[in-house]
Amino acid sequence: MLLNKESSGSRWRVRPDGQDKVSGRLQYLTDMSAEGMLTGRVLRAQQAHARILSIDTTAALAAPGVHAVITHKDVPGLNGFGIALPHQPVFCSDRVRYTGDAIAAIAAESDAEAEYALSLIRVEYETLPLLEDAEEAMKPEAVLLHEEGNVLHHTEYRRGEPEPAFRECAHVVEETYFTPRQMHTYMETEGGLFIPEDNGRLTVYSATQHGLMDRRQLSRILALPEEDIRVVSSPIGGSFGGKDELNVQPYGALLALRTRKPVRLHNSRYESVRAGLKRHPMKITMKTGCDREGNLVAHKVRIISDTGAYATLGAEVLNFATEHVVGPYRIPHVEVEGFAVYTNNGVSGEFRGFGGNQAIFALEGQVDRLAERLGLDPWELRRRNLRQYGDPGPLGQPIAQTHGAVQVWEALKASALLRAPETAEVPETAAEDNGKRAEEKRPPWIVTGTGAALAMHGAGLGYGIPDPAGGRLVLALDGKIEAVFGYEEFGQGLIATMEQMLVEQFGFAADDLRIIIGDTDVVPDSGSSTASRSTSMMWMALQRLRPEFTAELLEKAASSAGEPAGNLQLGPGGVWRREGGLLISYTELARGLKEPLVCQTVFHYPTTPQPRVGAHFLYTYSAIAVRVELNLLTGRVRITDQYHVVAAGPVANPQGYLGQIEGGSSMAVGFTLSEDAVMAGGAYVTKNMDTYLVPTIIDMNGRIQVEAIEDLPEHDTYGPRGIGEIGSVHLAPAVAAAIFQAVRKRVNKLPVEPELLQETLFTTQKAVNSYAG
Amino acid sequence: MPDNYWLQETDETAGTGNPEAAYILNCTVNGEELSLEIPPGRRLLSILRDDLELTGTKRSCEIGRCGACMVLLDGRPVNSCLTMAYQCEDAEITTIEGLSAAELHPVQRAFLEEGGFQCGYCTPGMVISVVGMLQSNPQPSQSDIEEAMSGNICRCTGYGGILRAVHKAIESGVSP
Ligand code: FES
Ligand code: FES
Repeated sequence: MLLNKESSGSRWRVRPDGQDKVSGRLQYLTDMSAEGMLTGRVLRAQQAHARILSIDTTAALAAPGVHAVITHKDVPGLNGFGIALPHQPVFCSDRVRYTGDAIAAIAAESDAEAEYALSLIRVEYETLPLLEDAEEAMKPEAVLLHEEGNVLHHTEYRRGEPEPAFRECAHVVEETYFTPRQMHTYMETEGGLFIPEDNGRLTVYSATQHGLMDRRQLSRILALPEEDIRVVSSPIGGSFGGKDELNVQPYGALLALRTRKPVRLHNSRYESVRAGLKRHPMKITMKTGCDREGNLVAHKVRIISDTGAYATLGAEVLNFATEHVVGPYRIPHVEVEGFAVYTNNGVSGEFRGFGGNQAIFALEGQVDRLAERLGLDPWELRRRNLRQYGDPGPLGQPIAQTHGAVQVWEALKASALLRAPETAEVPETAAEDNGKRAEEKRPPWIVTGTGAALAMHGAGLGYGIPDPAGGRLVLALDGKIEAVFGYEEFGQGLIATMEQMLVEQFGFAADDLRIIIGDTDVVPDSGSSTASRSTSMMWMALQRLRPEFTAELLEKAASSAGEPAGNLQLGPGGVWRREGGLLISYTELARGLKEPLVCQTVFHYPTTPQPRVGAHFLYTYSAIAVRVELNLLTGRVRITDQYHVVAAGPVANPQGYLGQIEGGSSMAVGFTLSEDAVMAGGAYVTKNMDTYLVPTIIDMNGRIQVEAIEDLPEHDTYGPRGIGEIGSVHLAPAVAAAIFQAVRKRVNKLPVEPELLQETLFTTQKAVNSYAG
Repeated sequence: MPDNYWLQETDETAGTGNPEAAYILNCTVNGEELSLEIPPGRRLLSILRDDLELTGTKRSCEIGRCGACMVLLDGRPVNSCLTMAYQCEDAEITTIEGLSAAELHPVQRAFLEEGGFQCGYCTPGMVISVVGMLQSNPQPSQSDIEEAMSGNICRCTGYGGILRAVHKAIESGVSP
């Protein structure tokens, strides 16, 4: 089904949080203020790698309006954070490892006073050798960034005997792929409000993708029991993985507890660039061989991932990449080796796609190169090697079986773009423009091409990592049906999806509902809102809760109205007679309660039984075809048409689904064509959105169509699969294939460098976003 | 001086504690006449968000690149992060809050119904941009739309929903 407003009919719903968003009334956590509030600011390292000889805060403390200046000496608990490995200093004491490292923080009465006081802090450094390159950092003579060595994590996967198998191959291609340091560029930078409460507790209003994880981390840092900390973490102005880790929270919390006053922080864009996470730049070397018929035989991969100064989830991202470089293909002989390496560059961490984007760019590039060697249609080569129902996962692990890979392959094959790209190419929007563009004949320096790619993408955190799920349904005393889950709303439409599930599966009206998320004082541990997991986990939780919660409501209604429960059903506004007619409203039903009626469920995200840390069990499958227009004079690429086929089970929320694919794809357009947070000498060269180029409406004026394949095998109990990431993971190789079709040039480095594609006397022109790697 | 000084000079630092900088700004914000004693170089973004607590206008890049901070100044969309107090003298300023009283503005309704937003952080600026465009050009072509909105960045939606909302607003014949 082509997914759009028309095809969705009444399932296309107005988002419950929409009214406040379009009217500007929604209060984001960085919009909050409090009586007597101070402004917090953080002093970041002036060098990317140096020993700290001294920190002098005396003058800053004496500056006007300053209430506190704090450093490492003022951290009562653990001076470190990090979801997986809490070793990133809250405040550096003896050494800095990147220019986002924090040294001190100030609370002052105004921004200007905080700013001025920051300038008075004196830090003396002794410069240390800079590690800008991951492979340099792996050399034995390299200076150690951490005692354990410069390799944060090493992965290996092996099956068969690749070396001898390569000798039997008819064709072998070898290539090295480079991917950029992409920035999340959420429009709301990090920040929030931190309030020391009269009863000794601390309230943290600051965005995160897992409130309970922030609470745990803050409790360690502040040496406060978790119960004394309340984290309110939604709504969020975008995250994409970037706000999963702590950012400003330790500073706001410490300053608020020190001054006993509310403190607000809100990063400037430059500070967000400087201190925030990025996507891991990876260098992926692949050697892939097939036989004469085009059967893949052997595949050897080496991944070097620049994880920057600290761990956060660098190891987990590498695990993910290790799994996804094997992908949806049957390859008997495989050897993968990966290294996540510390450098003095900005910290890389969790980002939509989670290492899949890099891996899939390389893997799909290999398949295309082999097809060229074979003289075979690249889509046909994929068919010959595609995983089938019943095949194990990429790491040989048992997975939830679906026909997803074949389904998306077939649907894309049938799409107009692959059948007849020339006739399919006029985007609707251009057609609406009085047919002007369509009529314009293409000048000779504009050439076009079509390309396609395929992906399977894991969801959930994977084997061996705690991945709790669960939630609570409540008939509250005021008659509202409450759904209480520990998830976060960063724009993906989680609240809307929850509402839609409750309306469609239980029969409630939207007005009956109160959805509560993002507040650690009230929510259960539902796990993180990451890894394309929350829609699946909400669905599974509601499946578990439905029989019990429905029965309880019906029985209550039966006993208060004296009708057999068997004659009743849930409906909008209250409990109804099966033959029609409202029997009792939820409000009346609640009147008879002494305490709220509560049903809870606790479970774990489904995992593969095979003990390989991080290996996935649930996957989403997708295929994409793109049509590009390439300007030989400027070397610029425009994507005129995209066709996405996604097999992810039932569509829980059509508007949200479409939005995730469209939005994910625009992020991939940036990854492919324009985005790179360039670093030189350990500092960001791209400090703001004037030089860091995310796609604008002009870059996204092509057509995007999304076809959703909803059917799952009959025995499947896992319901909707995640779609938060899949739209962003495979556009890059499809664009690279389209470029190849247009100009017979292979792209192995992203973002695509215009000078590679220019075919004129002007090839010496340097593009602003050329990759410094 | 620490090097995270980025861009702060233009704001409160312009004239803080300097009596000569005292200045009275007379302007109208969302129909209400105001007279504010502030430094003439204070940015409109800070005036709105911090002084008037109109936080619907968002802060994001602060260099005029993203459009999150857009407001209408005498009917024209401007980046409030680049507009200084003295430039607002006698101006009529409309923020996102001023577009709708009891009912949503038709452009806001189009965004709501078409799903032209996700996180919503770019939305106030987007809506202002569209309202500004339609006021001067009620029947824009596709390239007019692209040009008018190229200064508004949305990181979430990929612009599909936004374009659908704009077309819907045009169809419904928005009367400003
Ligand atoms: S905040 Fe003003 S344009 Fe970005
Ligand atoms: S909706 Fe999030 S930036 Fe546009």
